[in-house]
Amino acid sequence: MTETVMEAVDVVKVLGRGPSQVKALSGVNLALAGGELTLLIGPSGSGKTTLLSILGCILSPTRGIVRICGQSTAQMPPEDMARIRREHVGFIFQSYHLFPTLTAADNVRLALDVRGEPSGSAIARARKALAAVGLSHKMKSFPRALSWGEQQRVAIARAIVGNASAILADEPTSALDSDNGQAIMKLLAEIAKDQARAVLVVTHDPRILPFADRIVRIEDGRIVGEERGRAGRQ
Amino acid sequence: MSLIFRLSWRNLFHDRLRFIATVVGIVFSIVLVTVQMGLFLSFDRMVTTMIDHSPADLWIVPLGTKCFEDPSLVDERERFRALSITGITQALPIVIGFAQWRLPSGGTTPVFIVSSDTRVGGLRPWNLVEGSLGDLAVPGAVAIDQSYFGRLGTKGLGASAEIRDQKVEVAAVTKGIRAFTTTPYVFTSLDQARAYVGTPPNKVTYFLVRLAPNADVETIRSQLRMILSESEVLTPSEFRNRSRSFWLFGTGAGAALFAGALLGIIVGTVIVAQTLYSSTKDHLTEFATLRAIGSSSWYIHKVIICQALLSAITGFSIAAGVGSIIVDATAESALPVLMTPLMTVGLFLLTVVMCFLSATSAIVQVIRIDPAVVFTR
Repeated sequence: MTETVMEAVDVVKVLGRGPSQVKALSGVNLALAGGELTLLIGPSGSGKTTLLSILGCILSPTRGIVRICGQSTAQMPPEDMARIRREHVGFIFQSYHLFPTLTAADNVRLALDVRGEPSGSAIARARKALAAVGLSHKMKSFPRALSWGEQQRVAIARAIVGNASAILADEPTSALDSDNGQAIMKLLAEIAKDQARAVLVVTHDPRILPFADRIVRIEDGRIVGEERGRAGRQ
Repeated sequence: MSLIFRLSWRNLFHDRLRFIATVVGIVFSIVLVTVQMGLFLSFDRMVTTMIDHSPADLWIVPLGTKCFEDPSLVDERERFRALSITGITQALPIVIGFAQWRLPSGGTTPVFIVSSDTRVGGLRPWNLVEGSLGDLAVPGAVAIDQSYFGRLGTKGLGASAEIRDQKVEVAAVTKGIRAFTTTPYVFTSLDQARAYVGTPPNKVTYFLVRLAPNADVETIRSQLRMILSESEVLTPSEFRNRSRSFWLFGTGAGAALFAGALLGIIVGTVIVAQTLYSSTKDHLTEFATLRAIGSSSWYIHKVIICQALLSAITGFSIAAGVGSIIVDATAESALPVLMTPLMTVGLFLLTVVMCFLSATSAIVQVIRIDPAVVFTR
């Protein structure tokens, strides 16, 4: 039995104010366990990204509890939320968000630099992370010289370099062709084999369903279904 | 090396045109401040140059004297009263005043006469490059500065002219004794000066008081104040401050220079703030990404501050070079721009402070950043 890395309990999130107020999440319960790749799927506007943001301590819930590695984030000031993010969460974004002025190695190293890790060890770890995603030969390349698939690999290396307990990926394959999308998902599935690490992928790309250990469906801000994925059944 | 420096430098250098605009703004601002402050310093030194070069322990000046160039007079009898006090070794009379120098080619130009008894060590011309102090004892002999040859229509040593219808001959030439009023100083003997400026024989402008080695300045000053009714007793420092205060602030000249310097600082701050602000705005998604991956606010502030510092160092280095050229170019002019090591350090600190202030607008923008934008951009 693997441990719960990340947990949302009865989470409600209201966005906006006054007449434009929207209830993005309505009492969501979700627990992510280590060693598991979970897909969160649902139509546009269903609350996928809002839930991802709350689990990743980027947004605070209006109501409910979020626990990261057993630590509740309730009433946490922004700086403590940032600390939780850098210690426990690795993000992969739909549009990669690499720094165009930094090399691939420096982009990965950045995740360690914000933690105050000494340069020597940060450089070594960044190289190792890039090697893990198959980009040893692109360390000194700038993002503009990389393909989209390679850029997403750099983003994955950045997410895993700090040994985060949870990797949260927002539509990581939506901007990629089928081959690159499959390659990225294989990589994420490989990462999810680490029993101490949970991987949550928000998507509406049906091509990646086979990689899931678990599939959670969300609609109108509520979890409406959950099933074991093909990978989870093997 | 932390990535902060690399990220800052590349963020700045990424948009070269904007970086050049920032640096030009800083250079413009600092050169403007350098010139204004350099002129102020030069002006400040010039207004006290006569006091600075006088070997006085105390000055006896007419009541209400505002500056060294004040033409009020004091009675010669004050000298004997002063000399009656134990501890005073000399009370040397000084006569100053404006006169008209007749040019050899016709016409006149104003000059400022400075005289004392040069044989006993009064206010004597310094930096002599031709002639000697002894030559000034000859009737009609004067000393002028070489920078005013053109103005006085003279070719230098041995040249003749007229002051108040009396023939004068250049017997000594100095270098670098320039007047902030641009009216040339003419050094001469006491008797001649009286004739040139029309001072009665029983009157002088100041007494330069010298004390015995162990005499207490304050005690003697108190004694002098008690016996002198129509004059004031000032220390050199007080006289200097009074002159400075009059010329720099009483006339508005100093205020104008300060206003120019202040304008330079404001313009520089606004330009740097504007460019840092727009640079930060352009990199807002990157800062949001930094925040999303868990960087502290302070880490992001350090990136912006580092950008400001890099701009400051680059801008200041160029401005210092331009400043040095201006200093060299004006060295021989009537009002040279001065630059001291302390002023250079001060200007560097000013540049840094200016860039720090400019960074605040960018920092305020980043404080409000929502890391959630990384999901929408």
